[in-house]
Amino acid sequence: MAAFLSTYGYLIVSMLLGSLLGLSVYLPLMTGQLSLATPGFYALGGYVAAVLSTKIIPFEGMWFPLPWLLVEIVIAGLISGILAVILGIPVLRLRGIYLAIATIAFVEILRVLSLNLEITGGAVGIFAIPQPFGNALGYLWIVVPLLILVGVLIWRLENTKVGRAFNAIREDELAANAMGINPTYYKVLSFVLGAILAGIVGAIAAHFLNTWNARQGTFDASITYLAFVLIGGSRSFLGPILGGILLTALPEVLRGLGDARLIFFGLLLVLGTIFYPQGLITPELLRRWIPAKLRAKI
Amino acid sequence: MDLTLFFQQLLNGLSIGSVYAIFALGYTLVFSILGIINFAHGAIFTLGAYFTYLFAGGQFGFNGLLANAQLPFALPFWLALIVGCMLAGSVSVILELLAFRPLRKRGADSLLSLVSSLGAAVVIVNSIQALAGAEIYTFPANIYGNLPESVNFGSADNPILIRTVQIIIFCVSTVIVALLTYGMTQTKMGKAIQAVAEDGTTASLLGINTEQVIRITFFVSGCLAGLAGTLVGSSVSIAGPYFGITYGLKGLGVIVLGGLGNIPGAVVGGLLIGVAEAFIPGEYSGYKEAIAFALLFGMLILRPQGLFGKKTIQKV
Repeated sequence: MAAFLSTYGYLIVSMLLGSLLGLSVYLPLMTGQLSLATPGFYALGGYVAAVLSTKIIPFEGMWFPLPWLLVEIVIAGLISGILAVILGIPVLRLRGIYLAIATIAFVEILRVLSLNLEITGGAVGIFAIPQPFGNALGYLWIVVPLLILVGVLIWRLENTKVGRAFNAIREDELAANAMGINPTYYKVLSFVLGAILAGIVGAIAAHFLNTWNARQGTFDASITYLAFVLIGGSRSFLGPILGGILLTALPEVLRGLGDARLIFFGLLLVLGTIFYPQGLITPELLRRWIPAKLRAKI
Repeated sequence: MDLTLFFQQLLNGLSIGSVYAIFALGYTLVFSILGIINFAHGAIFTLGAYFTYLFAGGQFGFNGLLANAQLPFALPFWLALIVGCMLAGSVSVILELLAFRPLRKRGADSLLSLVSSLGAAVVIVNSIQALAGAEIYTFPANIYGNLPESVNFGSADNPILIRTVQIIIFCVSTVIVALLTYGMTQTKMGKAIQAVAEDGTTASLLGINTEQVIRITFFVSGCLAGLAGTLVGSSVSIAGPYFGITYGLKGLGVIVLGGLGNIPGAVVGGLLIGVAEAFIPGEYSGYKEAIAFALLFGMLILRPQGLFGKKTIQKV
């Protein structure tokens, strides 16, 4: 067991980070908004952590102090959230395809900026980001509680007034508006929550990966995180969690396929949308496997 | 900026902008009839360039499965270009049959076809990489005949030099845009495409074979992407399997600028972005790649329907 954990520690943490990124795409989808901005906020959060820990925060000794990591997480989440409000208010007036296009543009603009600015280290990026833990498994102390916290919050959210408003907007925005729900407010809220989560994950991932550069926030990454949700299932928060875990592990499982594994990944996207449009975790599946008492809450 | 440099940049901008325009025309044609963005368009662009390279007698590098492969014959460049575009168009039709049609038949959310076309793009790009490797391929210098390297539009003292390739690209693009405009407005098929774009159900009630129209639109769209890919490839180089992705994303800027589904809009949007990029001062050249997206963003906030689009009213 110990040998297994130390061999696959890096992969396990990556899988859980993938789940969190899937949830960050899932949050705006709760109001029916397809946002591809997750890699942008993820990259932003990572740069915040990388710059703070390599240039600003003083510390002694070998390990980066955990309280400072928490401070970074809070700052990264705040900055992402504020930017998301500024971005979301004009952009979320638009519907459907326009939002997807606008968020693609946002990710590309951030990528070009980070390639050219001095503070982000240009094309080279930022190196030697200090480590708070001795090995990859240590990150589980941060990632597991975060995943549980976010999962429970989203699960509970679905039963509150806000969650019901999200659902109403997803089903029919005009009808929801007619019922006295302010669609723009709730759409911006879901977008901002997703952005904060992506920023937080970025701050953790910057330490975890040790280096941070413009390749973290690309269009490819947008597709990958979207796939987490669509393959896993976009109707329950369990979907993106499963999707993130499975699809992050998939390249390792398919290592035998070599370069062909991305072809397989693409095929999975095409076939998945055609044959399993609801993803792996569907509402029917939940109904069959989860006792009625808990089910009402999922 | 002195006048010479101004004209030089303007002409260069128009030349690259005209390629953006024909590329974006393919995007916008498909959007106009189906209301979806075909994200595999950038991949078809790449594919077209590779097809033309192969048929013009080019040899692949030693990295892919097709290492050092070469056709036993070499077509003249113009013929290879036509074959390449036709093949790109055919792949585009296959894509419609495999990735779009099943979703359309089921009446699925248009966002799902966005994802399925993204998947198709991933498959195409990585298949190219597996087969032909990730090398940069260049066309021979004399594909357009033995022409001088550049043409002087100024005087001998005050030269305004434009690369011959740029001029050819601009001319070819202009001809294509003219042909397409003629085809769309004067021919029966063009009118059928417009009718389907207006309202598919009504068009089919009027006896238009909607499915056939959709297939032809995808074919034309694929040909345009393949042509744009080859033109860019002949001007600079085919920069590996991923070189269409940037164009695919910039093309989004072009069509949003002109108005989604709007044909004159795509042409004007393409030229605008090309010229805007050409006028970026040298010291900020790193930001050149962001111009299209900044314009896209501004346009979405100020006028989401684009320069030429009409405002649509949401009906219940």
